[in-house]
Amino acid sequence: MKTRRYAAAFSAVLAGMFLIAAPAQAFTPDRTIEFMVHSGPGAGNDVFARAVQGLLEKTKLAPQTIQVVNKTGGGGLVAMSYLNEKKAETHLLAVFTSVWFVNPQIRKKAKVTMQELTPLARLILEPAVMTVRSDSPYKTAKEFFAAAKANPGKLKQSGGSLSGRDNTTRHLLMKATGTEWQFISMKSGGERVAALLGGHVDMYIMEPAEAIEQIRAGKVRVLATLMNKRIPSMPDISTLREQGYDVPEIPQARGFVGPPGMAADVKKYYVDLFTRMHGTPEWQGFVKQNLYEDGFLTGQGLDKFVDEYTQTMRGILKEAGIKLVR
Amino acid sequence: MEIIANLMNGFAVALDPLNLVWCFLGVFFGTVVGILPGLGPSATVALLLPLAAQMNPTGGMIMMAGIYYGAKYGGSTTSILLNVPGESASVVTCIDGFEMAKNGRAGPALGIAAISSFVAGTIGVLLLMLVAPPVAEFALRFGPPEYFALMALGLSMVVLLAGKSLIKALISMFIGLWLATIGIDMFTDGERYTFDTVELMDGVNFVVVAIGTFAIGEVLANLISTSGGQMFEVPKGVRNLMPNWQDLKDSRFAFVNGSLVGFFVGVLPGAGSTIASFVSYGIEKAVSRRPEKFGTGVVEGVAAPEAANNSETGGALVPLLTLGIPGSATTAILLAALIMWGMRPGPLLIQDYPEMFWGLVASMYIGNVMLLILNLPLVPVFAQILRLPAYVLYPLILGVSIIGVYSVDHRLFDCWLVGVFGLLGYLMRKLEYPAAPLILGLVLGDLMENAVRQSLMMSRGDVSILYSRPLAAVMLVLTVLVLVGPMFRRFEIWRLKAAEQDV
Repeated sequence: MKTRRYAAAFSAVLAGMFLIAAPAQAFTPDRTIEFMVHSGPGAGNDVFARAVQGLLEKTKLAPQTIQVVNKTGGGGLVAMSYLNEKKAETHLLAVFTSVWFVNPQIRKKAKVTMQELTPLARLILEPAVMTVRSDSPYKTAKEFFAAAKANPGKLKQSGGSLSGRDNTTRHLLMKATGTEWQFISMKSGGERVAALLGGHVDMYIMEPAEAIEQIRAGKVRVLATLMNKRIPSMPDISTLREQGYDVPEIPQARGFVGPPGMAADVKKYYVDLFTRMHGTPEWQGFVKQNLYEDGFLTGQGLDKFVDEYTQTMRGILKEAGIKLVR
Repeated sequence: MEIIANLMNGFAVALDPLNLVWCFLGVFFGTVVGILPGLGPSATVALLLPLAAQMNPTGGMIMMAGIYYGAKYGGSTTSILLNVPGESASVVTCIDGFEMAKNGRAGPALGIAAISSFVAGTIGVLLLMLVAPPVAEFALRFGPPEYFALMALGLSMVVLLAGKSLIKALISMFIGLWLATIGIDMFTDGERYTFDTVELMDGVNFVVVAIGTFAIGEVLANLISTSGGQMFEVPKGVRNLMPNWQDLKDSRFAFVNGSLVGFFVGVLPGAGSTIASFVSYGIEKAVSRRPEKFGTGVVEGVAAPEAANNSETGGALVPLLTLGIPGSATTAILLAALIMWGMRPGPLLIQDYPEMFWGLVASMYIGNVMLLILNLPLVPVFAQILRLPAYVLYPLILGVSIIGVYSVDHRLFDCWLVGVFGLLGYLMRKLEYPAAPLILGLVLGDLMENAVRQSLMMSRGDVSILYSRPLAAVMLVLTVLVLVGPMFRRFEIWRLKAAEQDV
């Protein structure tokens, strides 16, 4: 372990020296670029990474081939530690999601925070909406909260892990409305939607692209969007704020992050690459198709976001009663 | 009638030369991926996602689905020949498949696996075409209590997997249930039995345990007992390398049983083909006229799980195409592909894109025929592997095992872990503990624990939720019957013996 750390430090120094020696040479990738994701094939961020890979290849923006690498394990910790060990590595980027902000705060074994890595670009924000089955008695968020108040702990919401957005949002809503309902963790997104459609739970927080199809088929009803702004493709759905509930929005952010100590010219190269990709009509089409919010952010704006988001998540986790380790 | 017209249109799409090429490429890659242990269809489909995004939707979907069901065909090969389960669903195939190979019947085992895959694959598509919407609606009635009952039914199969001693089978199953608890607990975010290592936080991988206890355990046991030379008989002549009429006749019920179980379990999101293969094996043994022969190399013990495994694909596509819900990792990637093509997966997908749906259905009929043609001639070729002398075959099994384990998550840690489970497998063999119940416990333990805790959260601690809902109740009654059945049989034998003594 120790020797490895020395080796990493040594190579960082070496890489640093190399850069000082040849400052005029601008960086361009000279071998396969790796996109690391912390989950297996088929998960949201894996599909996201492969979509970006496809777009960069299709638009010929990347001079080298790109490979998506799945480094699963430890709920994201394996990927984070791996990136941390590859100090100043020039051909390895990772997809970050909110897990990357949450992990260092709740897992003792997390060795690195987002601030210590090299955030490159935030690309998208995923909005979310609060849905019920179309034959549910609740027509508005207000009716749902009223029912939750009348029967504390009786209503049920399906969702994922406790530190995920579904549950943290629930805690914020329960606090803001003085109500209480159950949160039922399920492994896959498929099970969570099926539980709502089958009437086994009363509410589920869904992504708009999925919700819009379920609405069209008359299967679900949307009570509110959880974002501060209305979603363009769902202009009739009001926000929680408009309905009188003052809760902070929890955006699900996705973007790319590099290893610690990434040299300035390397960082600049990748930031430029994502900036150029963001400008293509193909990318705009991808964002629109998935009903994402364009969350493009780089440089100081991104650094500020990383700090603020870490603090926001910290507050929410505390509120949600999840034990913080740092 | 409308279905026939639709299907004809579908065949017009699927028989387009380019689509035929995509279909062939899909099933061909699928077969290769299936034969390689560890590397599964989800990883392969994910790898091709950026490429497929640039294809037209129908062709892309035909190819990706081809990989999905093609991989199921190949999965049995290493199970039968090397006792290395290539995927989770092939564990059950090892039980009788490898015994058949030992008895010099590797060819018929591989052949029946291919035929069974073909029959079930076709029945799976047929059901997908005919009953998808109502079955999808029915599957939605499965909430946590129903899943709990289904898992209980699955676990009750342990009495059918037990050899001579039920106690030993139960102990083996409990070890599996314990292994299933390792990792981060979803409901509390707490860690269990991780010994403060990052490696164990996601639990022990099922493939690692299966390959360790089956393949490596087998190698270790034989290294110590045999002295070398060729250990398996491989009869000469192609006729002896193919299943005969008797084999087909013995398997006919297994084809139907496996197909139906596989399809219906496949429709349930999150249940998976492993459960389907165990349940169909259990049913096969329960209704068999020669249950005592199971585990010694009976052909229907290969046919049933292979059928279940293959018709599961048709089932798994049902919630994806009719509800827009992905039930497994592979279907989740297919869902992503649909979005990339600008389609809108959801309950109205079939209505919006009939050409894609019917083209896909028709291509799956064609793909299954291609797979049969592709796989049957390979049977005699593969069977020759067993002619290798032990000093070549055992290192080969070890090599395939370790590569397989590594290719799942690319972690060296798993290669050490597989050694540990190899030792466990060896000890279990020596002490005559069956390994299959351990795998059963490991696969179902997690799902069952989740289901029971979800149910109790729903009812706020009231246990009656587990048995008061009608569907759950029916399955629990079946569970009790399965558990009590062997006891009656034992009682019957004892009664007969007592009667004889009286006379």
